[in-house]
Amino acid sequence: CKKSLLTPESQTAVATLDYAQFSTVGRIQGQVLGLYAGLRAGDFYGSRYLIYNELRADNFLAQSSNSVTAYQTYNYTLGNGAQEVTDFWASAYSTINRCNLFIDGMAVKGVSVVGADLTKNYVAEAKLVRAISYYSLLQLYARPYYDGLGSKPGLPLRLTGNSVAGNYDLARSTVAQVYTQILKDLNEAETELPLSYGTTAVTNVTRAHRNTAIAFKTRVYLTMQRYADVITEANKIVSTTAPYVASSGVSLALQSDITNVFKTPYTTNESILSMPFVTGTEAGGGQSALGSYFFGVKLYSLNPTGIIGDAGYKATDRRRSFITLSGGLPYMSKFPTLAAAGYADYVPVIRYAEVLLNLGEARARSLNALDAQSIGLLNAVRGRSDATTVFTAASFASPQALFDAFMTERNIEFLGEGLRSPDLLRLGLTIPGKGNVSAVPASSSQYIWPISGTELLYNKLMTDN
Amino acid sequence: QQKTITGKVTAEKDGLPIPGVSVTVPGVRIAAQTGADGVYSISVPSNTTSLTFRFIGYAGKTLPLKGATLNAQLEEESNSLTDVVVTGYTTLRKADNIGSISTITGKQLENKPVQSFDQALGGKAAGVQITIPNGVLNNPPVIRIRGTNSISLSSYPLIIVDGVATYTGDVSGTSAPGNALSSINPNDIERLEVLKDAAASAIYGSRGANGVIVITTKKGKPGKAVVSYDSWVGSTKARGLPELLDAYQYTDLKNEGLRNAGTFDNTNANPANRRYFALSNDAAGNVINTNWYDYIYRTGYSHNNSVSISGGTESTNYYMSGSYTKQQGIVVNNDYTRKAGLFKVDHREGKIFTIGGKISYSNEENLSATSTGSLAGEAFGTGGLGRLAIVTAPNVSPYNNDGSYSVFNATTIGRGANVGSDVGFYNPAAVLNLDRSNNEINHIQSNIYLQANITPWLNAKSVYGIDYIFSDNDSFANPINGGSAASGGSAAESLNKNKRWVLTNTIQADKTFGEKHNFSLLLGNEQQRSTSLGFGASRTTLSDPAFNVFAAGYATPAVNVANMGENYLVSFFSGLTYNYDKKYYVNANVRQDEYSAFGADNKKGVFYGVALGWEIAREKFWSKIGLDKTFTSFKIRGSYGTVGNTSGLGNLASYSFYSTGLYNGASTLVPNQTGNDQIGWEESKKLDLGFNFGILNDRITVEAAYYKNTLDGLIYNVPQVPSAGLPSTPQLNIASMYNKGLELAINADAVRTESFSWSPSFNISYNKNEILSLSEGLTQFIQATSSLESASISKVGGPLGMIYAVQTAGVDPATGRRIFIEKSTGRKVLYQQVAPAGQFRYSYEDGTEARNGISLNNDGIPYKNTQPKFSGGFNNTFRYKQFDLDLTFTYQLGFYIYYGTNSGLRDQRFWNNSTDMLNRWTTPGQETDIPKIVNGDNVSNGSSFPIDINVFKGDFLKLRSATFGYTIPKSAVAKLKLASARLYVSGSNLLILTKYPGSDPEVSSNGNSVGGNASPGVERNSVGNGRAFTAGLSVKF
Repeated sequence: CKKSLLTPESQTAVATLDYAQFSTVGRIQGQVLGLYAGLRAGDFYGSRYLIYNELRADNFLAQSSNSVTAYQTYNYTLGNGAQEVTDFWASAYSTINRCNLFIDGMAVKGVSVVGADLTKNYVAEAKLVRAISYYSLLQLYARPYYDGLGSKPGLPLRLTGNSVAGNYDLARSTVAQVYTQILKDLNEAETELPLSYGTTAVTNVTRAHRNTAIAFKTRVYLTMQRYADVITEANKIVSTTAPYVASSGVSLALQSDITNVFKTPYTTNESILSMPFVTGTEAGGGQSALGSYFFGVKLYSLNPTGIIGDAGYKATDRRRSFITLSGGLPYMSKFPTLAAAGYADYVPVIRYAEVLLNLGEARARSLNALDAQSIGLLNAVRGRSDATTVFTAASFASPQALFDAFMTERNIEFLGEGLRSPDLLRLGLTIPGKGNVSAVPASSSQYIWPISGTELLYNKLMTDN
Repeated sequence: QQKTITGKVTAEKDGLPIPGVSVTVPGVRIAAQTGADGVYSISVPSNTTSLTFRFIGYAGKTLPLKGATLNAQLEEESNSLTDVVVTGYTTLRKADNIGSISTITGKQLENKPVQSFDQALGGKAAGVQITIPNGVLNNPPVIRIRGTNSISLSSYPLIIVDGVATYTGDVSGTSAPGNALSSINPNDIERLEVLKDAAASAIYGSRGANGVIVITTKKGKPGKAVVSYDSWVGSTKARGLPELLDAYQYTDLKNEGLRNAGTFDNTNANPANRRYFALSNDAAGNVINTNWYDYIYRTGYSHNNSVSISGGTESTNYYMSGSYTKQQGIVVNNDYTRKAGLFKVDHREGKIFTIGGKISYSNEENLSATSTGSLAGEAFGTGGLGRLAIVTAPNVSPYNNDGSYSVFNATTIGRGANVGSDVGFYNPAAVLNLDRSNNEINHIQSNIYLQANITPWLNAKSVYGIDYIFSDNDSFANPINGGSAASGGSAAESLNKNKRWVLTNTIQADKTFGEKHNFSLLLGNEQQRSTSLGFGASRTTLSDPAFNVFAAGYATPAVNVANMGENYLVSFFSGLTYNYDKKYYVNANVRQDEYSAFGADNKKGVFYGVALGWEIAREKFWSKIGLDKTFTSFKIRGSYGTVGNTSGLGNLASYSFYSTGLYNGASTLVPNQTGNDQIGWEESKKLDLGFNFGILNDRITVEAAYYKNTLDGLIYNVPQVPSAGLPSTPQLNIASMYNKGLELAINADAVRTESFSWSPSFNISYNKNEILSLSEGLTQFIQATSSLESASISKVGGPLGMIYAVQTAGVDPATGRRIFIEKSTGRKVLYQQVAPAGQFRYSYEDGTEARNGISLNNDGIPYKNTQPKFSGGFNNTFRYKQFDLDLTFTYQLGFYIYYGTNSGLRDQRFWNNSTDMLNRWTTPGQETDIPKIVNGDNVSNGSSFPIDINVFKGDFLKLRSATFGYTIPKSAVAKLKLASARLYVSGSNLLILTKYPGSDPEVSSNGNSVGGNASPGVERNSVGNGRAFTAGLSVKF
């Protein structure tokens, strides 16, 4: 009898005994990348976050009624048990738990392996991924911040790692409490992330650096309508005059041609953070890839009365090259890679154009005026795709008209990138109707998703929306 | 003072003398042997009252002395088959057995049109329920011994072949299943024992909870070589297929559906907006009217040839067999081939040592064109053949008029003259002709043993056995139409190696003290080590369509797959049996198992079984009151013990793991398994009470038992709060359940005369299953079929795997709309697929909107049980002179089946329908059970969620097999220099009495799969069992 055979060791996976997953530099680095891999999951930011936030809004029309491909999100018939409601929730929290386990394990074991400095960098990456995860959950499962200034029910806020079966009942924190944690994570990430990963462009796009944390903060503050904070953060990475660039860290700037951002190698200095996909080895999922929804399988066509019908969105606008006609219907071809190539388009999380528009809108709203820098920022984004349109203060009858111009510009610029629904929600705007789907006002229960049915079933302290 | 006894020993069968028989005086070390003429002479003390005769291959016999001459006739052991039972590590006289053990003889399993013996076990033993889940060749039957004894692990019994625990289940990785047990040629099986209670199974410890089946293969007998040749040919054909609409009916009904939906349009100025169904003509100008059954099903022809040579001398015997079988299934291109050989030898060296062993090798090919839709997980596969046969429109042909495959695009068949809608999924002819989902198994089972009979009462034995399975998977999907056509075709190859060795050492002592105290003690140690390694690759986008093998050219590089596993079991066990004067019996077994898959803190388990028995017929009062005239024996027995179940427990289930992946080409390490370092065996506490008796010199024997298996620590994947973010659902030993029931088996030699005999046997089992608890706070769980349809629900307080369905209340005569029952209010809800302005899809009878609609989540109820309350068999063997007739019936009663296929047969998308739909509602006031047909409606008839009208009683009585044989008279065969010859014809699945409307009430979409325990009785798009006829010949030289 051979005693050792009774305690077999896996030859293919790392068992967690004695924190073996933190025992070497390579394993720790692998875990860091694993955090991003969690964010990249097809059910999460690797496509479906963008898809759900687009389909909730008004720019797409369903060509299929398959509930597996988000039809219930599209027509607001979701129940607690709907696949997207339960799967997105699970996928986001799985990523959060990865971050928590990593942060805990680095303190116990990892720091002795890679040293204090790298530990700081790595933990900062985990905090940033955690912040994006909580932010993403809030956009779908909680009332917008403006509604009661964050006093509405938010999310179960989990900050320590879970690894074994147990009682995990936990009540929801308020929306404000969750945002506070998101900002805390992002602030800490800002101070502890590396300025850049050197000259390797792909790493600067696929991993978080200091400017990533700052950029994401502009999004978070804008969502919370804390415009002064948007300006403070954005000013760290946006020069006061054109051409707008980041003067420290990764040298962020707009591409002169937007189409460069959405094609190989996807690593321009406009992409602040993107989720990579690789043909063959890291392919996008058939029923989750952006390319399959909007272009490949043609599940959703563009709504002719949505933003593509906007009179100011000129026919010569470079961004109209992302619209392709097929069978008489317009489809969005921003993510054109097909199944055969593994839907290997990078999925954008945040890019520099957004930071510029965040800053411009925040300046306009906080000053409630036709701010020149605001208009300059708006022109920077519009101008590179449509040189024939140049906004001046005379273009706007009122500050509100400028605010609206920013909304329109975002709608054009970020079509398909998952910002549309959060943009409507942060301001409490009615989600316009489309096709045979009615508009959804802010007061409607359908304005946000219901809570995951499995969470409600097993978390005794959880409450539904 | 001595006396000399002489005599002659002959064989009972042929009266020939037997040389080398050992003749001994019981209890004394005096022995003699018979000579070549069978004659012996022995000098014994004058007070000697009896002599014992023993010879290998023959049943030992002790005869009383009545003078100076004592002749003996010995019976061959094959004839004494029923006098002993094999209990695994040892053998018992049947009269001394007090465990619950059923014996099935090899004769009952041989020459059947099956791929493996287990498919022929149905109805043969009380408490053993066999379900053949579909008509695909070589899929493992679902075997349940005394009910389903696990929720999340396997409920499949432990199978021991010649002392070695063998692999079980489907070991193929393709759509052509490969039952690990099919490597055994059924004709090589001598006998098979089913160990059911703790008294019998506790010796198998942590693996005995699902019962144990012990298989003993044939061995040679001393004497002249016997050559046996068995051959049969047969055919098999699908039966009970649903009757479908033909092309004319299909076209009319589908157009009616479009009109009712308001979407029929054959005149639109824009042809792209037209929508209608239409007939078309073939090249000869005839209307295309395709019966897809003709393409998918066939008459399969099979044959089986098996030859064996056995014989031996007094010290050495041998058995050798070779067999070849080639069988065709009822589905086109579903074939099974087995080439198998078995060689066994036993040799006695001197008085003490016996050495022997066996080598068994089989090569099996399991072939299938593509998924039949019948294996677990395949039910909703787009290309499942069972489904394609009933879904595809009859008004299109698989071929264009130029002979090429008719395709609309990569994944759908051509639309013919139909406009605006698909009319099928894959082109059945293309995938049947061009695709491949094949498997080849090379299976080696071998052992070698050394036995030492140290003294007449003490022997030691060591057995080393191996069981190696090499399973090769080879599949191809064509680039024209089907699952991989969009990516230009694909091919995959993978090899899985499963290797096991078992080393067993036992010592057994059998001793009688003071003539009446009979002891037997067994001590043993066993180690079992299993390892597995798999690797493979798949390639896509075929370079040249002329080729279809993996090694051809492909554009996309190979994607590799790999896996490995190992486990190790170390055991010590002991069995003690004692009886006083064959009247009072005590028997105890204990086993300690240490198993590598158990959690770090929980490696070791101890299991035991205790049994008591009382042979009343040996009591004096029994004969005093005259009962001995009726009862030959009457034994009351009872046992209790605990055994375990580990079957299906992951090798490394106790660990929490991080696994590797990729992020932009660099390695990642992420959590992927939530382990449980406390994980252990599932525990079954088995209580068994019973009695056996024989009447009229055992002409009639009756066995009856009551049992209760209480199952604790059942592994359940305990759902965790999703926001905790654990990587997987941890397995905890937390649930509990019981099975209790009654068994009765009656065997009779009702008539036995020179020219006529009739032996009926009957068995029936009643079983009740109830879940006692799941995990804290959890009262029910739902199990999906093929991860799509949640038709099964298990509730605490109810049996495992009830049907989960929404209740309906017929069809509204006024509007032809399906009426559902809203669970929360009990109100009737009428459904319409297309709601006109001002109306609703779901409305109450008063026309107001039923706002929540109808859903399985809100309105489903645990509707009916799926586990049979009663099951069993009824067998009759008649012999009249040279003719024999054998009829085997099996039955299962008191259960329901969810006939999910029926919802597809009435689905109002493009799918073809059953002819039931001709009775659809068409006019107000019409009373019918078929709603108005509206194109696109997949709700009214149950496709969208399960509904009660598709649930049917499953009760059935099957004439599983009938065999009529003729044995050629000895005088005639002697002229041909044959020892015996028999011709027979046989049929299986000849008759099914059932109210179940599907093709076969035995069918099951979930089979032996993980989750199958909790989702029996679901039929979704499966291929049912066929009906087979065979004719055969058995000859002995």
